[in-house]
Amino acid sequence: MSVKKIDAPEFEAAIKSGVAVIDFNATWCGPCRMLAPVLEELSEEMASKAAFYAMDVDDNPGIAARFSISSIPYVAIFKDGVRVDEQIGFVPKEQLRAFVERNID
Amino acid sequence: MEQRYDIAIIGTGPAGVSAAITATARNKRVLLLGSTSTSDKVSKAHQIRNYPGLPEISGEDLAGRFLDHLKKMEIPITDRKVTMIYAMGEYFSLQIDQDFVEAKTVILTTGVSFGKPLPGEDENLGRGVSYCATCDAALYKGKEAVVVGWAPKEESDARFLAELAGKVVYLPVYKRADEEAMKDPLFPDRPNIEVRKDKPKRILKKDGRMVLETESGEIQTDGIFLLRESVSPDKLVPGLELDGNHVKVDRSMATNLPGMFAAGDITGAPYQYIKAAGEGNVAALSAVAWIDRA
Repeated sequence: MSVKKIDAPEFEAAIKSGVAVIDFNATWCGPCRMLAPVLEELSEEMASKAAFYAMDVDDNPGIAARFSISSIPYVAIFKDGVRVDEQIGFVPKEQLRAFVERNID
Repeated sequence: MEQRYDIAIIGTGPAGVSAAITATARNKRVLLLGSTSTSDKVSKAHQIRNYPGLPEISGEDLAGRFLDHLKKMEIPITDRKVTMIYAMGEYFSLQIDQDFVEAKTVILTTGVSFGKPLPGEDENLGRGVSYCATCDAALYKGKEAVVVGWAPKEESDARFLAELAGKVVYLPVYKRADEEAMKDPLFPDRPNIEVRKDKPKRILKKDGRMVLETESGEIQTDGIFLLRESVSPDKLVPGLELDGNHVKVDRSMATNLPGMFAAGDITGAPYQYIKAAGEGNVAALSAVAWIDRA
């Protein structure tokens, strides 16, 4: 599994069941560019535990507004459709892993 | 792409200079970032009495010696500001303005000049408070923002933000060299920037909007940008572990992030030039060992 890029029409299906990690980003955002390869690695290593998605906030302003995202990168964890945790800004891989792990049980 | 540096050293005080000298002597490819006049804390010292071999040397002379030493070893100083350092795993990525530079290891020697955050700042960081106008500007398309600038160079970021935002209130928290110039409009070509001479006090959220309390009142807005000369080390390096206000290091000057080291005042007291220089030496040797491992 790798990080799957999605847009608004696919959003509901993506978060509907299980654990979904969604990286909200934009092409002009430096920290987002740095975080992308880290998430890519994690998505491979944690493929059996969570599904990883990426969404461009410029292309999907409605979703960004719905979750009051005011700073990116913004990584949210959804569990069966409900947002249960969030992480703002870049974090090194092991800390990001711990962030995802603590939301899986 | 530019070749990856072996060691990026941030800061040109005694710790940074010492680290650069040792790393270069060990044949590593070094990028030394900081002020080309070394540290003000050195150059403005009246007299230093405990630096071995240099009794009663003035701060200005010691700074001169540091620069001579770098020159002799052909180590250039790159005078550019690092806004963020990302631990990518096998290497580090340094954001310098809009450019990215890569290094296998990093030595932080930026001293302890960072101030205290405003009340409400940490809690709202990323939730309406930002340190980077160029990073988050697009999220403020058509909205209102307040920019607090601690140096004149932040005026360009306010200007950049105003290209996208509907309205920008700019608070210069510095004295301009020429007070007369204050009478001239700062942004004559940008009618949507309002300049206010005021001091920020506190940040809070009210009815879903951001509020900046100032000495003379409060400003309601969508986002608050705080643009300081230097930020605390854990904001410069996401994920870096601190010990109080200082970077947590072990005896090899290693931080919690593999490949990142710290030296000098940033690691804690005593704030002594010779202690900083000694730690810079240890950090450089540790970085060399890290690069040459396996």
